[in-house]
Amino acid sequence: MSLDNLHVDALVVGGGIAGMQSALDLGDQGFQVALVECEPSIGGKMITLSKVFPTLDCCSCITTPKMSAVAHHPNIKLFTYCDVQSVQEADGGYRVNLVQKPRYVDASKCTGCRECEYACPITVPSPFDRGLGAYRTIRVPFSTAVPQVAVLDMDYCILCGKCEKVCAAKAVDFNQQPEPFEIQASTLVVASGFELTPLGAKKEYGGGKLRNVIDPLMMERFLAPTGPYGRVLRPGDGKEPTSIAYVQCAGSRDTTLGIEYCSRVCCMYAIKQAMLISGALPLAEITIYYMDIRTFGKGYEQFYQNAQAMGVEFIRGKVASIREDDDQNPVVKVELTEEGRTIERTHDLVVLSLGMVPVPGSNTALNLPLGSDKFIAIPAPNASPCATAHPGIFVTGAAMGPMDIVDSIVTASSAAAAASAYIREHKKEAVYA
Amino acid sequence: MSDQKNGTPSRGEVLKRLREAHGTTVERSQAMMKEQKQMQNAICQFIRETPKTVPEIAAEIGRPTHEVLWFVAALRKYGIVVEAGMCGDYPLYQRAKEVQV
Ligand SMILES: Cc1cc2nc3c(=O)[nH]c(=O)nc-3n(C[C@H](O)[C@H](O)[C@H](O)COP(=O)(O)OP(=O)(O)OC[C@H]3O[C@@H](n4cnc5c(N)ncnc54)[C@H](O)[C@@H]3O)c2cc1C
Ligand code: SF4
Ligand code: SF4
Repeated sequence: MSLDNLHVDALVVGGGIAGMQSALDLGDQGFQVALVECEPSIGGKMITLSKVFPTLDCCSCITTPKMSAVAHHPNIKLFTYCDVQSVQEADGGYRVNLVQKPRYVDASKCTGCRECEYACPITVPSPFDRGLGAYRTIRVPFSTAVPQVAVLDMDYCILCGKCEKVCAAKAVDFNQQPEPFEIQASTLVVASGFELTPLGAKKEYGGGKLRNVIDPLMMERFLAPTGPYGRVLRPGDGKEPTSIAYVQCAGSRDTTLGIEYCSRVCCMYAIKQAMLISGALPLAEITIYYMDIRTFGKGYEQFYQNAQAMGVEFIRGKVASIREDDDQNPVVKVELTEEGRTIERTHDLVVLSLGMVPVPGSNTALNLPLGSDKFIAIPAPNASPCATAHPGIFVTGAAMGPMDIVDSIVTASSAAAAASAYIREHKKEAVYA
Repeated sequence: MSDQKNGTPSRGEVLKRLREAHGTTVERSQAMMKEQKQMQNAICQFIRETPKTVPEIAAEIGRPTHEVLWFVAALRKYGIVVEAGMCGDYPLYQRAKEVQV
């Protein structure tokens, strides 16, 4: 495969909901856009979610058409499984050096039939299912991946050639190498998103070692029809939980972790998951331990009240610690702040409502100034909410700081509008220069 | 043999180069495959006739419950194992009749 060096109006870094929306807005205005994603598929975190607050719409039903629109847009060129190596100012725009990582599969030949995956003898944990589900060394990353192209993980391959043998399209290509290429862009839109606070960050909550203390994206996968178990089970032993607890602010508003801000979405995703669990496991008791509930958006307070009406128990208190009993049950010690006493309660499963942090390493090549929260700095948030400290580089979505999908889409369109104005201004300057 | 005309290395040369470059991971993955095969066979053997829960399988084959669940989930995904009702709070799993491991 040979990658041409490209000239585009805008290069969007990150193919989550924010990056996809910015690329579509710019593409629809007739600009030439390159969208670069480091993973083998676009979709970001949103494609892994079950349903979305506050509407409880199916997440895949909203995200998949957007992914497909990006892939088929005449003005958008999609680069998946590519790393940004460096960004330099050049010719009034930016010169971006990238590397296409080897898939060991020829994307132009692969039909996504998954015969290679079925034939491969090695099973590995799937990050799409947060390691609790599995796929094979060669696989199509998930059922709605875009592009539907297999990728081979050389770190787990025994070079047995079974995949190559069954591939009717002759797409498996062991000769692929990392391929550097360059894109010249008038403007950049950074949409590199977020990660969760690590599950093991707080020693008091088991330090990530308790099997039935999980992160909220794991619960999203359990609630999704394509999840690893096809139902909600606890990962320690496959039991259907009858008592589930949420610990709010488990990685936010916590000076001991250096994360002083509120992650904004945790209250809402915990309430959403509690409601979805009530539907999936009608007999389960669900408790949310919280310091205060923050339902900031349109329709969100009503959503909270609906959860209370459905019987979700909200207990105000600070969870001091979590330990495990002999039956793998998490035992939660809670300081009831209003009553001034401490209780211990045993649950089958505990979900830590972890906060949002920047993706480690996602700013290395861009080297943009960061704010005190370590997300990309916005020097004039009231005047130019998506402009970074570098003229012509804009930021959107959770790369700016914790935000939900509605705000990610709003900032994506805002960043696209700002980028569009910037490109037009530069084209005018070039004409009159 | 190289394809001399366009300089593309032959399949044999490519695999040899990869084996040299990834010797350690190939060896580690081969050992992993062996262990996985043993585990999958032990699970499938035990649930061939009668459906069992994850703790029952774990007790029979002497492996931790979380590990057994991961394998059962993987086998279920590829159609080798199917769910077959509940026993208390635990789903039962059985070997799918027609599929080879
Ligand atoms: C458990 C949970 C449940 C949630 N539920 C809801 C909900 O119901 N409703 C709601 O409104 N919000 C919800 N949210 C919030 C929602 O997930 C985010 O608002 C949204 O995913 C942000 O989108 P994004 O595109 O900014 O970031 P992401 O989804 O993180 O996408 C970023 C993309 O950029 C890629 N990337 C990163 N770095 C680079 C790089 N250097 N080069 C190239 N690509 C890169 C990543 O691989 C990824 O594909 C939830 C969050 C969590 C944690
Ligand atoms: S590499 Fe071949 S077998 Fe695998 S999904 Fe692509 S076309 Fe199918
Ligand atoms: S060559 Fe590698 S990817 Fe292909 S089937 Fe064998 S182990 Fe799997």
